[in-house]
Amino acid sequence: MTSSPTRLRVLLVTDTAKPIGELRDALARLGYEMLTEVATPGALPRIVDEQRPDVVIIDTDSPSRDTLEQLAVMNEHAPRPVLMFSNDTDQQRIRDAVRAGVSAYLVEGLDAARLAPILEVALARFSHEAQLRKRLAHAETELANRKLIDQAKRLLMERRGLPEQDAYALLRRHAMDHGMKIVEVARQLVRLADL
Amino acid sequence: MNTPASAPELPHLRLGFVALTDAAPLVVAKTLEFGHRHGLTLELCRQPSWAGIRDKLLCGEIDAAHALYGLVYGVQLGIGGPHADMAVPMVLNRNGQAITLSPRLADRIASGDSVKEAFASLNRPPVLAQTFPTGTHAMWLYYWLAANGLDPLADVKSIVLPPPDMAAALAAGELDGFCAGEPWHAVAESLGVGRLVAYTSEIWPDHPEKVLACRRDFVTRYPNTTRALVRTLLEACRWLDEDPRHRASAAKWLAAADVIGVAPDLIAPRLLGDTGHAHARPIAFFEHGDVNYPRESDGRWFIAQYRRWGLYSGDARDDATIAAAVNQTALYRDAAMAVGVDIPADADVRVARFCDGAVWPD
Repeated sequence: MTSSPTRLRVLLVTDTAKPIGELRDALARLGYEMLTEVATPGALPRIVDEQRPDVVIIDTDSPSRDTLEQLAVMNEHAPRPVLMFSNDTDQQRIRDAVRAGVSAYLVEGLDAARLAPILEVALARFSHEAQLRKRLAHAETELANRKLIDQAKRLLMERRGLPEQDAYALLRRHAMDHGMKIVEVARQLVRLADL
Repeated sequence: MNTPASAPELPHLRLGFVALTDAAPLVVAKTLEFGHRHGLTLELCRQPSWAGIRDKLLCGEIDAAHALYGLVYGVQLGIGGPHADMAVPMVLNRNGQAITLSPRLADRIASGDSVKEAFASLNRPPVLAQTFPTGTHAMWLYYWLAANGLDPLADVKSIVLPPPDMAAALAAGELDGFCAGEPWHAVAESLGVGRLVAYTSEIWPDHPEKVLACRRDFVTRYPNTTRALVRTLLEACRWLDEDPRHRASAAKWLAAADVIGVAPDLIAPRLLGDTGHAHARPIAFFEHGDVNYPRESDGRWFIAQYRRWGLYSGDARDDATIAAAVNQTALYRDAAMAVGVDIPADADVRVARFCDGAVWPD
């Protein structure tokens, strides 16, 4: 792993809040050659051209992703997004990588076994549990919002004798006129109804 | 509306979108909760890149997305990245994209230079940016360059930048122009770093642009959910075309920090149809359903363009089969009928006429 012709050249893209740069030392210890990090999409084409990385590790939510995609299509030497979705990669690993927020691009023809440690280090570093919790909480909020709107609608139907569609239209119009989200209007209405 | 037989299999959907004016149908559907009537709650998930939209669709992190028409076909054909069977249940908008050049180049063109002459004055290949290798903006830009006598693969340096970075790159002189969606042209113009020289509707009048995209197995596993989502978004598109005041409201919602995050004044004028070019057509979301039918002939156009630019070498005799499998015309018809939206008379083949005189289908 240390003889220079076989050392993989790894580029880290550090343009988001996720500390991709933290992988640097761990990967260097494993014997990878770590290239100068890139922090903006604009710098990426030149660095890929000049430094010819074998692997690019980038935050899944990096705005530089599309810049890298163009290089993959237009330049046969540029790393391609094949690791995460290659034919033999199992779905669970793909999901893990996306949820951990790490995407890997690599030059075609590289031995997958040599790359496994890179991904493992990245996945271990960026666990996805926090994200799963956030997602669950969001889904619960959405369902609660829907119940709130239904409640507001029923209030309007009962108190003003409106059919369901008109009650809904009234909520919507109020939201538009006041630049509010419909759920905020519903919340206000329900809260005031308790007075 | 929801008999048990047609109730959505999934009541809660995560929809991806990118910070663009033409995300309006999703933003309207969410803000006014159009989904509830169809048994759906929607969660909008902004994505900082089209690659992110693609990967999250493929791994199921999002269920469906506002996507470049060409992104769907690029993934279907496996160009430059993963392959997967994809679906386009409906089109979300037409027009509304443009090409902006540096003020210096725009001045030369305004004073009578051809595009080719203006670029030649740089004494180096112009650097032009678009948004995704197989995307709509790449195809509009390449088409426009070719129609102006330039070879997009040899005569220009074509890069991809995130649209919010375009203005800064122009200002820094790293870029000579770009093709992208709004409000990023309005932003560049407001900073005085670029001027809009052509609307994409001047390349292909009424071209399809963003679509609703999902994996094909999503449609097969959750047909009722997909139909409910199409009904929901058709209502949002109809609402946007119903009344200019609706679009003014939408501009405010789009301006929010968690949607696009630029001033409403930079979004509203072009969303309301003010192009300032005599032959440009404004962005359209509905036009009585004419916009939304997922025509196979439009899908085939993207495959033909990939072949033209050497991105794809598959047999042209298969194009129709591929487009018929991607574009969900039968599902769209069911959903449109359920919300009283007409099927356009030219549903099967729409004849398109381009700026260089070409006609599609050829």
